[in-house]
Amino acid sequence: MIAAIRSFKLRPVHVWMGILAITTGIGAVAGIIVFAEGLYLTNLTDLVPWGLWITIDLSSIALSAGAFSLCAIVYILGIKKYQPVARTATYIGLIGYTMAMFTLLLDIGRPERFWHYLVYWNTHSVLWEVSMCLTLYLTVLLLETLPIIGGIDFVRSRWPKLSARLEHVHHYAPFLAVAGLFLSMLHQSSLGATFGVIIAKPIWYRPGLSVLFIISAVAGGISLTVLLSMLASRLDRKIKVKDELLESLALVVGWILVGYLYFRFWDAFSMTYTYEPGRTEGLALLTRGPLALNFWLGEIIIGALIPIILLLNPRTRSLPWVRMLALAMVVGGVVAYRWDTTLAGSMVILTYTPNAIRTLYTTYVPSLIEILAGGGVIAFGMLAITIGMQYFNIVDHAEAQPEPVQEEVYALGSAD
Amino acid sequence: MAEEKINRRGMIRMTAAGAAAVAGLRLVRKASASGPEGESPHSWAMVIDQSRCTGCEYCVNSCQAHNDINPDMRWNRVIEQNDVTGEESVYLSRPCMHCENPPCKNVCMVGATYVRPDGIVMMDYDKCIGCRYCEVACPYYARVFNWETFEGDNPFVPEWGQPEIERRVRGVVEKCSFCYQRIDRGLALGLMPGVDKEATPACVVVCPVGARNFGDLNDPESKVSQLLTTRPHYQLRNDLGTGPRVYYLPAQEEGVGI
Repeated sequence: MIAAIRSFKLRPVHVWMGILAITTGIGAVAGIIVFAEGLYLTNLTDLVPWGLWITIDLSSIALSAGAFSLCAIVYILGIKKYQPVARTATYIGLIGYTMAMFTLLLDIGRPERFWHYLVYWNTHSVLWEVSMCLTLYLTVLLLETLPIIGGIDFVRSRWPKLSARLEHVHHYAPFLAVAGLFLSMLHQSSLGATFGVIIAKPIWYRPGLSVLFIISAVAGGISLTVLLSMLASRLDRKIKVKDELLESLALVVGWILVGYLYFRFWDAFSMTYTYEPGRTEGLALLTRGPLALNFWLGEIIIGALIPIILLLNPRTRSLPWVRMLALAMVVGGVVAYRWDTTLAGSMVILTYTPNAIRTLYTTYVPSLIEILAGGGVIAFGMLAITIGMQYFNIVDHAEAQPEPVQEEVYALGSAD
Repeated sequence: MAEEKINRRGMIRMTAAGAAAVAGLRLVRKASASGPEGESPHSWAMVIDQSRCTGCEYCVNSCQAHNDINPDMRWNRVIEQNDVTGEESVYLSRPCMHCENPPCKNVCMVGATYVRPDGIVMMDYDKCIGCRYCEVACPYYARVFNWETFEGDNPFVPEWGQPEIERRVRGVVEKCSFCYQRIDRGLALGLMPGVDKEATPACVVVCPVGARNFGDLNDPESKVSQLLTTRPHYQLRNDLGTGPRVYYLPAQEEGVGI
C-alpha cells in the first residue's frame, strides 16, 4: 500500500478526474438544494414544465443505445469479433442509464415517491412503459457489467471465488442480449412516443417521432462507444484497440445516419404541406425561429450531413482524428435533436379560445441551479467512464476473451 | 463447460420466477388501486354563460379560498377576449374541463389522475410523483404544478371563504376538482348539487351575475340540461376528442358555429 502511494505519480488523467469529481460534487450540492427547497429554483414553468434536465435524461438514454445495439450484433447476429466493443458499450450504457435515473430524480417533484410506477400501474401511459423498461434494462445492464467487475485485477486477486462467479454471468450474455434488445426497442421508441402521443402539442403529435428517436439513438450510441474507445487508446498507451473494428462500426454509423436523415427529411417536409395551428409555428421555430441555428447547424449539418460525408468516405474515415470528429458531431446532433424536440413543443402555446385559435410563444433559459445540477450529472457520467477505462479495462481489445458463448448459442437454438 | 450450459429446465425456472414476480406486483397494485369503482347516477357538468360574465374574477378568488390554493397558482382562470365586433370585451372563465377522455389521465405514469363515475377528473395527491407529464398533455393548460411550498396565511381567507380541503404538499400537480368535497358532502346530507348552495362548486355559488351553472346532465330537469337544450353552446377544443364537461353559452348567439 505504502509502496503504491510512493510510486504514485500525478498524471493528467488524475487532474481530469479531479475536475470531474469537483463538478460532480457541486452538482450534488445543487441537487440537494433542489430536493430541500423545491423546483421553484428552476426556470421551469407551468407552460414549459420540461427543460434542460429532460434533455439530459433523453440524451443519456439515447447515447446509451450502443449497449443494446452492439450486444445484438455480437450475441444475436453472432458477429463475435465485436465482443470487446460491446463490452465497452455495456459499461457506457450502465453509466448512461444511471445518469438518466439521477436526472429523473432531480426533475420530479416528489423524488421520494419515484418507486410509485412499480406499484401503481397505468398501462396506458407510455411514460410508465418507459420507466418499467428502464428499470428492467438497468437490471440487464448490471448483469451484463458483472463480468467486467469480476475481471478487475483488484477483485480477482482478493476474492477469486467471487470474481469467478461474477465472470460466470457472461455465459448468460445471449439471453441478456435478447432481453436488452426487446426492452431497448420498446423504450427508445416510446421516448419518442412520449412526445408523439401529446395531442395538445401538434408539433409533437405525429407517429414519426418514435422511429426518429430510436434510429438517432442507435447512431449516437454506437458513435459514443467508438469515439470513447478511440479517445482512450490515444490518451493512454496501455489501452489497446483494434482499429479495423472501430472503423467498420464508424461506417455502420454513416449508413444509419443516411437512413435517419431520409426519415427526418420527409418527416419535416410533410409538415409543410398544409397549415396546421401549432404545428406550422413549431416547425417555423425550428427552421426560422430561435431554434434555427440549433436545428440547421446542430442537427442537420453538423449532426448528420458532415458526419455522413466524413464516415462514408474511406479516406476521411481512415484518418483517426477526422473519424473521431465526425463521431463527436453525431453525438452532438443527437443531443441537439432532443433539446429541439423538447423546446419546440413547449415554446408554442396554442390557445383554446373559440373562433380564434391563436399561437403564442414563451421562452425558456435554464437557471443556474439547473445548469449546475445537470452539469454534475454529466460530470458524474464522464468520471465513471474515465474510471472504467483506467481501472476496469472497459476498453481492451487485446485481451483474449473467453469463448464459451458458442455453446450457449446452441442451447438457445435447441430451446425452441 | 457442459454444466455451464443453460438447459431447458433452467430457462423454465427463470421464466416461472419472472412470472411470479409480475403476478405479485399485480396483486399489490390491485390492492392499492384508487378511485371508487362502479357507477354513479349523476353526470356533473358546468355551463358558463359568456353573455353574463363580467370578468370580475370572483370565481377565481372563491376557488383560491375554498380549495386553499397557493396564491401563485390558479385552478381557475378568467381570460379576456375581444368579441367579434372588437368593441366589447368577452370573458372566458376556465376551470378544468373534466374531459370524458382526459389526455392527462392517459399519460400519467402512476395513475394519479382518474375519472370518477360521476365524471369528475380527480387527482390522487398521494400518488403523484410530480413528473408534470399531465401538464404537458393538457390542451387547456388547466393543470398547475406546486413549485414552492405554500406556507402561511391564504390571502383569500376568510374574505372569500374557508378552506375545505387539505393543503397539497409541494411538488405535485394540482387541478380543479369541481369542488368534489362540496358535492360529496352535500349528497351525503341529502342536498342537490347545482340547486343547494352548500353542495355546489364554490365558483358557481359566488358568481354575482349567475354566469356559472352546475348540475346533473342525467337529470333532464336540471338547470344545466335545460340551458343546453334551449341555448346554443360550445365546448373548448372538442375537436381534440377530449369531450369537455364544461359548456359555454356564447356572448352573442351568432358567435356559435365553431
